[in-house]
Amino acid sequence: MTSLDVTGASRRPFSGRRLRLGDLILQGVAGIAALGSLVLVGLITWKVIEGARLSISTFGLSFVWTVAWDPVHNQFGAGSFLFGTAVTSFGALLIATPIAIGVALFLSELAPRGIRGPVTALVETLAAIPSVVIGLWGLLVLAPLLRDHVDPALHSTLGFVPLFGKASYGSNVFTAIVVLTIMILPIIASISRELFLSVPGELKEGALGLGTTRWEMIRGVVFPYARGGVAAAMILGLGRAIGEAIAVAMVIGSFTGISASLFSPGNTLAAWIAQQYAGLPTPLATSSLIYMALMLLVFSIIVNLLAQFIVRRAARRQGPSR
Amino acid sequence: MPRNGKLVRVSLVAAAVAAVAVVAVVVTAGAASARSSSGTVNGAGSTFVAPLVTNWEGPVQQQLGLQLNYNGVGSTGGVSAITTKQVDFGASDAPLSQFNPTCNTCVQIPWALAGTGVIYNLSGLQHLRMTGAVLAQIYLGKITRWNAPAIEKLNKGKNLPGTSITVVHRSDGSGTTYNFTDYLSKVSGSWKSHVGTGTSVAWPTGEGEPKSAGVAGAVRTTPGAIGYVDVYYAVHNKLGLMAVKNRSGKFVLPKGKGIKAAAQLDTHPAKDGSLSIVDPPKSKQYRNAYPICTYTYVDVQKSSGGNAANIKKLLNWAITKGQSYGPALIFEPLPKGVVAFDKKQIKKIHS
Repeated sequence: MTSLDVTGASRRPFSGRRLRLGDLILQGVAGIAALGSLVLVGLITWKVIEGARLSISTFGLSFVWTVAWDPVHNQFGAGSFLFGTAVTSFGALLIATPIAIGVALFLSELAPRGIRGPVTALVETLAAIPSVVIGLWGLLVLAPLLRDHVDPALHSTLGFVPLFGKASYGSNVFTAIVVLTIMILPIIASISRELFLSVPGELKEGALGLGTTRWEMIRGVVFPYARGGVAAAMILGLGRAIGEAIAVAMVIGSFTGISASLFSPGNTLAAWIAQQYAGLPTPLATSSLIYMALMLLVFSIIVNLLAQFIVRRAARRQGPSR
Repeated sequence: MPRNGKLVRVSLVAAAVAAVAVVAVVVTAGAASARSSSGTVNGAGSTFVAPLVTNWEGPVQQQLGLQLNYNGVGSTGGVSAITTKQVDFGASDAPLSQFNPTCNTCVQIPWALAGTGVIYNLSGLQHLRMTGAVLAQIYLGKITRWNAPAIEKLNKGKNLPGTSITVVHRSDGSGTTYNFTDYLSKVSGSWKSHVGTGTSVAWPTGEGEPKSAGVAGAVRTTPGAIGYVDVYYAVHNKLGLMAVKNRSGKFVLPKGKGIKAAAQLDTHPAKDGSLSIVDPPKSKQYRNAYPICTYTYVDVQKSSGGNAANIKKLLNWAITKGQSYGPALIFEPLPKGVVAFDKKQIKKIHS
């Protein structure tokens, strides 16, 4: 496909060509849209910082690790929520990644050609299910199932580890981890599948021609090639898990405190904000909630920048091999 | 290409016709609904009083020609909504003085009276006996099993299982929480110093659920769970309801007789309209009183704009004819003294 240098002409509107109204309008509208999104991000960030100002000046940085949420004595801290967000998000990532890579491998390398299309469509449909639906299913179906069958079994066999403590709550951290795993699995799986499919055929066939087994070819060619992209997919999944509010709020049990056991109720930053937005008893409480929103905003930006950095680094590395 | 052009033209025309049709339907529907009710009153707040208010919607439409819309978002949400004038009235079980920021330009009107039931899920065990002190220990996380000695002592002869107690409380700002923690603070020095009273507190243990329905639902689906809700949710969900010991030594259920006896403790609202009928002292007068009762309030802006007349009509009906719908939902009718005070408060509302 030959590329016409249409862009060249519009980049130099004043040189040698009559100025066209259409081009000018296009530049204006597109420019306003781009500027507008930047301004919107700036405005949101500014308003969040402004709302959090009271709490920032009262508690400072120690708010981030203080474990407390006491409206009666006006003591607030994000410690327990940060802990909950970390445990649920990384827990979900830990479980979802191997499964997602397995799904992606199956759909790109191992499955019979006939079923690849339908199964891929089904996996993507999982991503399309609204969070509230998964949350409701989690509350009504998954939580009682885990509480009555899975949690006690884990507690009786692995109970010596503090991680698997007494199991009496259906709404707990473990249920939230399972729900989040279901939500981030399709993201990691579909991106990984695209990456595995984009590995050049010559490389794969070359390895197989040298006498490697299928698994050795996957391990030696496909994985290293797709490494950067899979890392970025994992980070995107992590970002989704960190920000998920409603589904987690429905199954995590809203307990403010730090517990070693996965079977005790817990809380996350996003879930607490979703539960408390209707009204808080004091201005300091409201400001503290917005401070937590600021923390979430900062995490999301960091996660996003990290993903972009990894993708760019991986693309640079693969440059010479293309 | 000509075929494509025709297709585009036809689809554009079809879209235009569809758009006009949709607009026409919406406009006529809007006009029809506006004609069906001569006024609308919107309120939000307490889930404690929600069963009564939603039950008023039908009679209010028939008898007053008003459309009443109520959104149970919790007491804190209700006070926040009326303070920012998003609704015509806010409903809260905790007095306005408990909130910050609060509605300084509102009148506070006690409009219903009921009890906070302590619910539990233990099959086959009806009306367990409980004292405030033991309840506080459970909610402090000190007593963790149903067959603990303290509970067995109160329930001799009942076969209490060794199930863990799953503590359930509210996660959102709640007037019911205020009533419950107010009671616990009065009966347990330990609770008062560690946790205190409020619409939202630092719960030492347990899982949080949003709204009364959430707490009732969690207790209903979790064997061994304990929770606190307006007594209507307890009866409606067929959950175990505890008989709590009052100061006179009697174990009382949160039913009409118990609530009526407790209401005698305070029949003259304070200047701001608040009343406290929690934990009546030992006395022959309060022998049958249920110790965890509360009034619930409606808060209205003094200058309520164009809808003031409708709001006043609704409230005057609510404190008189509306009370007759209460007993079926385990709300006690307001005492005469409170009704007289309320009528004066309603007069303060103007446009």
